[in-house]
Amino acid sequence: MNVSPRRLDATLRGPWGPVFFAALVVLAIGWGASALGAQSGGRSLAFALGLGAVLGVVLQRSRFCFYCHARDYFERGDARGLLAIVVALAVGTVGMHIVMSGWLPVPQPGRLPPEAHIGPVSWALVLAGLAFGLGMVVSGSCISAHWYRLGEGSPTAPFALVGSALGFLLGFNTWNGLYTATIATAPVVWLPLHLGYTGSALLQLLLLALAAAVLWRRLPAAEAPVPTPASFGAALRRLVQGRWAYWLGGLAVGAIAVVIVLRLRPLGVTAALGSAARAAGEAYGWVPLRLEGLDGFGGCATVLAESLWRTPNALLIAGLVAGAFAAALASGQFAPARPRPSQIARGLGGGLLLGWGAMTGLGCTIGTLLSGTMAGALSGWVFGAAVLVAVWGGLRLGLHAR
Amino acid sequence: MTVLTTWWRRATVATLAFIAIAPAAYAQASADGSGPLVSTEWLEKNLKDPKLRVVEVSVNPGLYEKGHIPGAVNFSWHNDLNDRVRRDIVGQADFEKLLSRSGIANDTTVVLYGDNNNWFAAWGAWVFDQYGVQNVKLLDGGRKKWEAENRTLETRAPEYAATSFKVAKPNPQLRARLTDVLAVVDGKTDAKLVDIRSADEYSGKIFAPPGAAELAVRAGHIPGAANVTWSRAVNEDGTFKSVADLKALYASAGVDGSKPVITYCRIGERSSHTWFALTKLLGYDVRNYDGSWTEYGNAVGVPVSNPAGTVWASK
Repeated sequence: MNVSPRRLDATLRGPWGPVFFAALVVLAIGWGASALGAQSGGRSLAFALGLGAVLGVVLQRSRFCFYCHARDYFERGDARGLLAIVVALAVGTVGMHIVMSGWLPVPQPGRLPPEAHIGPVSWALVLAGLAFGLGMVVSGSCISAHWYRLGEGSPTAPFALVGSALGFLLGFNTWNGLYTATIATAPVVWLPLHLGYTGSALLQLLLLALAAAVLWRRLPAAEAPVPTPASFGAALRRLVQGRWAYWLGGLAVGAIAVVIVLRLRPLGVTAALGSAARAAGEAYGWVPLRLEGLDGFGGCATVLAESLWRTPNALLIAGLVAGAFAAALASGQFAPARPRPSQIARGLGGGLLLGWGAMTGLGCTIGTLLSGTMAGALSGWVFGAAVLVAVWGGLRLGLHAR
Repeated sequence: MTVLTTWWRRATVATLAFIAIAPAAYAQASADGSGPLVSTEWLEKNLKDPKLRVVEVSVNPGLYEKGHIPGAVNFSWHNDLNDRVRRDIVGQADFEKLLSRSGIANDTTVVLYGDNNNWFAAWGAWVFDQYGVQNVKLLDGGRKKWEAENRTLETRAPEYAATSFKVAKPNPQLRARLTDVLAVVDGKTDAKLVDIRSADEYSGKIFAPPGAAELAVRAGHIPGAANVTWSRAVNEDGTFKSVADLKALYASAGVDGSKPVITYCRIGERSSHTWFALTKLLGYDVRNYDGSWTEYGNAVGVPVSNPAGTVWASK
């Protein structure tokens, strides 16, 4: 079926009012970034806020959500979302290998690129991935998607994030046992050390190509070609109100994950949440006095900051939520609702699993899976596989909301 | 006389006064790069000099990678300048490899800089000095001043033709050991101890500065040590104070260069900063005790002065 440009644009003809408010939100973010940048030591904070807002818009517009993408594939046989994740990983792999080969020209044993999300590979990591995947099924999203859904007014997201903070506390309490049982002696495998940068990049691209070949067999029936917008106004409207293509989201997320390491730490969305949980837990004595070896690992570090809300990760998250809010407003997808008891229960329970998994796995689907894999970390692949298995199993068991 | 001429005269007098005072107050770093300190301005002008090698020694990982002084190489405090197994400075062979890899030759001038007010860069200078490397300088004000002045940074790691650099055996005269410190405490050696930690660490109220691990089981300081917190030796912009000011500052604490000096802190890096000021700027005979409080405060049976009376692990 061929849609005429006029008819497609007519379906998007919402009021311009929300777009105006969205523009105000974007202006406020810009003002916040420039005010931060003018402060002493505020340049990285300003950058984090701005890039976070771009990320929020990208995630919201392209619905880049690990759980939704996996569910589309398992339940509806639609592989476009998972292919978008493959695109993100491929773009990020090339970019990160270029960046890392400048930072550490010759990979040497005992050295890792600074702050890279390369973690120990053990059965604790597999458990973390499984818990995280189940948490996604129960709560309906991974942590990054809960952040952007917060900007859409989701009734579940706030509870899922509170649940995640509680899950972090649980994780801190099981950490020392897991550390001495397996994590302390687990290998930290960084592919470029064994294969060189070229070998590592080629191997990863080959694996991603294989994954794409498998996914390609389950694409929906050919879509009608999207007609060219009739005017610039119509094109603009489609940009802010229409849904972005899956692959565009993957491309943008991959690019953002590379750009961010040039100025800040690798992309991650749980460090500020984890640090806040750790600080609160320490204040009440709910966290062990010593977390063995934890602060020596790369990943979404939860090292206590002197001023939590002035850390780049906190501002990245603030920008992400604000950017997603602006994008949701403009596209008419901002739909706050009163939470139902089942949503509260799913948020808290699923969040608990998400938080425990993200703490034990030293990051979530963004920090460990995306950033780690792009940097050539075996831990990223292992975590990703465990998450995928858990989502498949969770859906088969019917643990998801219907 | 018009208002304008009055203003003009006042401005002239103020400018002249500033020019007269400024060298004494700010001109620690010599204009021609001949002294132990170089200014950010001098460094920027001489970056293209092939006989100059800039080395960043920062404690925070990832700083160098996100932007460093153009052409600078990166030395890791943990991995390059320390032995990774024993608690000791890097071994002679590894240090030679490190310098050779960085293209440093006998006629190279090395300029060290880093974050945290050059703490670890000064520690690096102390290691270079022990191995007898000549022409090693510190960038006055370090990374903080370079960034504050909006000078150029770059992200590319440079590649220099390797040299084959040889260094001498470490000079034991620059390093104090626990036994040397105890000899001072027992009055067997006549030397002055300088504790450069904060007043609260010195008095024993706290075991370690905020954010650092408590690595000693006793609080307080070495008996007889004077407390001159390292930060009192620097100006607001991170540069060292003038020689006259430094002389007066340390003299007020009984450190006038008439006796040998031993500096210490918690792990030996902040005290390198004071070691640099006392040795290189004032010309005193100074050793750095890098075992510092993490060794002394854990040693069994040594005398401790603990005015605050804090007891370890007691609530």
